Amino acid sequence: MASITLERVSKRFGNLTVVDAVSLDIADGEFMVLVGPSGCGKSTTLRMIAGLEESSEGSIRIGARDVTKLEPRDRNVAMVFQNYALYPHKSVYENLAFGLRMRKFDKAEVERRVRRAAAMLGIEGLLARKPRQLSGGQMQRVALGRALVREPEAFLLDEPLSNLDARMRVQTREEIAKLHREVGTSMVYVTHDQVEAMTLGDRVCAMRDGRIQQVGPPLALYDRPANRFVAAFIGSPEMNLIETEIAPGPVVRIGGAVLPVPASGFRLPGPGSRITLGIRPEHLAIADAAGPRISGDIAMVERLGDRTLIGLDAAGIGLKALLPRDDALAVGHSIALAPMPGRLHFFDGETGASLAVP
Amino acid sequence: MRSRNDWVIWAFLAAGLAVTVAFVLVPVGHAIVLSLQQADSFISTPRFVGLANYARVLGEEAFWRAAGNGLIYSGLSIVLQVLLGLGFAMVLNEAFPGQRLVRGLAVLPYLLPTVVVALTFQWMTDGSFGIVTVLLAELGLGPIPWFERPDTAMASVVLASVWLWTPFVTICVLAGLQGIPLSLYEAARVDGAGAFARFWHITLPQLRPVLTVVVLLRAIWMFNKFDIIWLLTKGGPLGATEHLPILAYKRAFSQFDVGGGAAVATLSFLILTALVMLYFRLFPLEEKR
Ligand SMILES: Nc1ncnc2c1ncn2[C@@H]1O[C@H](COP(=O)(O)OP(=O)(O)OP(=O)(O)O)[C@@H](O)[C@H]1O
Ligand SMILES: [Mg+2]
Repeated sequence: MASITLERVSKRFGNLTVVDAVSLDIADGEFMVLVGPSGCGKSTTLRMIAGLEESSEGSIRIGARDVTKLEPRDRNVAMVFQNYALYPHKSVYENLAFGLRMRKFDKAEVERRVRRAAAMLGIEGLLARKPRQLSGGQMQRVALGRALVREPEAFLLDEPLSNLDARMRVQTREEIAKLHREVGTSMVYVTHDQVEAMTLGDRVCAMRDGRIQQVGPPLALYDRPANRFVAAFIGSPEMNLIETEIAPGPVVRIGGAVLPVPASGFRLPGPGSRITLGIRPEHLAIADAAGPRISGDIAMVERLGDRTLIGLDAAGIGLKALLPRDDALAVGHSIALAPMPGRLHFFDGETGASLAVP
Repeated sequence: MRSRNDWVIWAFLAAGLAVTVAFVLVPVGHAIVLSLQQADSFISTPRFVGLANYARVLGEEAFWRAAGNGLIYSGLSIVLQVLLGLGFAMVLNEAFPGQRLVRGLAVLPYLLPTVVVALTFQWMTDGSFGIVTVLLAELGLGPIPWFERPDTAMASVVLASVWLWTPFVTICVLAGLQGIPLSLYEAARVDGAGAFARFWHITLPQLRPVLTVVVLLRAIWMFNKFDIIWLLTKGGPLGATEHLPILAYKRAFSQFDVGGGAAVATLSFLILTALVMLYFRLFPLEEKR
């Protein structure tokens, strides 16, 4: 077990910079999730930690050791690959044992560790099988087991659930969380799925175009997104982002509604400045008689069961709102919504940076 | 619907059967018939002699020597082709500047007609003017009696064959190598495997199906290979490079012993069949379920 420290780590392929001066401290035993859209460099970052990719700049430490120049095998980390990468011609047992055999563990110890990992993952019955005789979920467990037996200083997982169907994904997600609690080893987990990021991470690191956008506990990213990108990326359905400007008052106008700007909590520019207003769909409610109202016609309805998601067309501005179940809502109806107090987000109109006072 | 499908299936089966009968079974059957007859040439009236040709041929030292030569020639050239082909393929599979050009060059020998290769080989090793001979002489070495001594003659035909047909192995193995997922190597690197362990635990097992087929094909071809040896040595000197195909050819066409030649050819066919069956037992193409 050990902490992992990245210090201004960059990766260039030719003159294309895919990871740009990433600095990240992962505490001993922490579950860190790297999240971001496709191509943002999360896999490359993970692979640099594993040593599968050489960093172009910066340094990587695992515990007290500087591993920047070390081969993967000398870093004492274990990795789970997106396509599992099980050795096809070896039995499940041999797949698990391989890393130990390479490290010259004696037979009894190999046996003990393989049996224990298999028991933890519930794959004792599969040890004699070959990978092609396994289902996707079973292969996933074997891949986890292969990492587990090594008892490494850190686990690195690259989208380990993306090849599973929705149910298996939820189930395996829970198992990975449980596994982390049991072994207590640092984990770095790459995903583009913000739900996985929110549910698994002790902390989440949101990346975009090779740069870190924000690092923090999942709810901190949800409550206080550092910029427009994080605001849109974290949370589902996506946050409504409305381009507007500060009007004297100060107030902001959207779709005919006049919303007073909170007196504190934000460092807002003067009247006339462009800003982006953010409201999460779940923070919109049916307006009561008093107070501000955003009125419009319902353009879309999705009935999700306990809740109803509607799309509202408010004088040319599209908004989504997640309301308590209401079977009467239908396309074409007029409706008035109001944001819940204290739930507005303001971002700089140019840079997209949050205007919240830290 | 079903009957029409059946009709198509039968038509294809019949066509396949007809081709097989016409071009495989008839000639083989004819050879077997010839081997049971006594004739001076292909146009003279043959006389049925039963297994007498076989008895005669099997009693000759020449037959056993030719069988032994055939095994030595094909065995050596297969082993060398496979080892070199594997090595070249692994080198060519790595990224390096000029990779495409080198890949093209590596395939070249396979594209050349055997006659050209044989003649070139002979010119290059010519005792007085050959470039190899001259170069060796400049280095104060040689001359090497490439085709004059029994042992060097065998080595020379093996060398020429390896040069000519290693590219086939290289191409097949290269294709096989490119089919191996890179993530297997990455997993192995993280698991602590060094270069040799990765070769042993990933490359070789992943290449197994390709190698099984390649060795089989090479074995069949090398065992029956006639042209390169005939062009280089005609089986000499003193029969040192005379294997069963050359023996059969000489019998039938130079010594006017058509029955004896056919008997040698048939025996050669039987030996090869036995070897192939043994190979299939040792290295089944289908993995056991
Ligand atoms: N070997 C390589 N050579 C050139 N470019 C590469 C190489 N590997 C990755 N890239 C580029 O680097 C960028 C980041 O890739 P990376 O695999 O880290 O993205 P990612 O965040 O994991 O995306 P995804 O969610 O699609 O897996 C991409 O634009 C990709 O095209
Ligand atoms: Mg990726």
